[in-house]
Amino acid sequence: MRLGVQLRMTEDELVRNMLAGTAAMINCVAGVNGDNPTELTAADISVLIQTLLGNNAKTVAQGMEGADKFGTAPVRNAYWALCDSDLTADLNDIDGFEHTSQYPTQKNILPSEWGSVQNLRFLVSSEGSVSPAASAAGNDVYNVFCVGMEAYTMVDQDGMSAHFIYRPPIYDGPLALNCSVGWKMGFAARITNDLWVLNMRTTRMN
Amino acid sequence: MDNTIIQQGEFTSNQADKFIVLRGGVEWMSVVNWTQSVATNADYGCHYYWQYGMADGLGLVYYHPAANATLAVAATAAGAGFTYVDSTDVAPGANRAVTASTNVAAPVFDTGNTAGLAVGSIVRVNTLTGAAGASVGSLCGWDFQVGAVTLNTDFTMAYNMATAPGLDGTAGFYRIIPYDPIFYPRWRYVINITQAANAIIHTSVDHGYTVGQKIRVNVPAAFGMVEMDGVEAIVTAVTAGTITTNIDSTGFTAFAFALPAVLPFTMPTIVPIGIDMGTAITGAVNILADATYNTGYIGMKLHVGNVANPNEGSLSPAGHLNDIIKWRAGKSFSNLME
Repeated sequence: MRLGVQLRMTEDELVRNMLAGTAAMINCVAGVNGDNPTELTAADISVLIQTLLGNNAKTVAQGMEGADKFGTAPVRNAYWALCDSDLTADLNDIDGFEHTSQYPTQKNILPSEWGSVQNLRFLVSSEGSVSPAASAAGNDVYNVFCVGMEAYTMVDQDGMSAHFIYRPPIYDGPLALNCSVGWKMGFAARITNDLWVLNMRTTRMN
Repeated sequence: MDNTIIQQGEFTSNQADKFIVLRGGVEWMSVVNWTQSVATNADYGCHYYWQYGMADGLGLVYYHPAANATLAVAATAAGAGFTYVDSTDVAPGANRAVTASTNVAAPVFDTGNTAGLAVGSIVRVNTLTGAAGASVGSLCGWDFQVGAVTLNTDFTMAYNMATAPGLDGTAGFYRIIPYDPIFYPRWRYVINITQAANAIIHTSVDHGYTVGQKIRVNVPAAFGMVEMDGVEAIVTAVTAGTITTNIDSTGFTAFAFALPAVLPFTMPTIVPIGIDMGTAITGAVNILADATYNTGYIGMKLHVGNVANPNEGSLSPAGHLNDIIKWRAGKSFSNLME
């Protein structure tokens, strides 16, 4: 793996693990797969959005106005939902799911964005949070972190943010045989308001 | 050589497995039992060695084969050497069959396999059914702490739930859950809340909170005490599995463990949200006790060896009681496999 990518993925994994360990949770319960939690449904998303709204969490992404283009629809202002890419098939099946290709504009779409349902826009990653064998039926539980504005933060520390360091061979020894490359960082992440982030736990249908 | 990291340290053996956190990782490790090196006890180990690629639990041991200064070398017994540890590996153990569970507040789970299970272990039950295949799913998916183990017979939950789960179980599975989430402070499952002037919250595993920390309590309707849902509480006293709060719950609906019929549901939880400075200072607790920090580590477990052996620890790197142990560990610039 490219070292720079590994550095940034490590930061993502640390934030992911922080949220998995400390964020409040809500199980999906409106699905039909017979597990606890169930698969993700529009009804579960409605409850979650209602909860975040009731907690005065501000949405992160602005809405997109409708456009006169075939197959598109407006996009609501939204919270981010951060989840594993294994959930994409289930997302496709949710009532009201709108893929990014159906957005009225292709501007302001993040590379990792999969689509939206109601007031949630889903960002997917192969490194999303999964609690293995954690459901009532022993299946993997996927943690979908639904976050409002400023729900959590990463703390930059003077002189300790990510350093990517290359040392040419001249630093190795008299014969200058080996170069080196590496990275280091000090890192801290923290939920700033527990009411503005919810872990929507779900199992898979597909 | 450049780019080689070497760490060292020393400890006195308490005749128990020893975890050594090695910040930069480890690819080889050498352990010297100073006490037994200068003594001449027959069949006592002096020097141990491990290198990346050796199987978990193994290593080499140099020992006195007789009561003199001579040395011999051998592989350690399986499970009596070194095991590389990465606490961020949260993969649960394999599914093991449960053949029965009791319908009481601290259920007993019958199983023919308790290998690796000890008091304090965390287990997770799944696919539990009762008579005629009825689901006992309300007990499934939680992390429960183990309070007692009968070898290859059964184990018992450490902490009482508010009420019994509603049904006896007749078949299912359990897994050993190896580690907590790596970030502290952690959310916890709640299995009981008392009706009292200072409500006491019971967690399914040891919670790790301290006096002064603030928590938010989440109680879904399936568990009764809805008045507690969303309440912000201050921790005023703790035991390993309970939290006394500043919340008066005397008039609240009784907390009851959800029955299988109400599945699916969200489990009741507490989540950490900060600290109350006044309570922390009064309780002589660090006012930063709620700080979010990463508890994950990589390192080495030095095994103590066969605990059934009267010479316990004599041929394993964690040493014999009160032995002085010195160690070096390193991470090499290159690790060529030929």
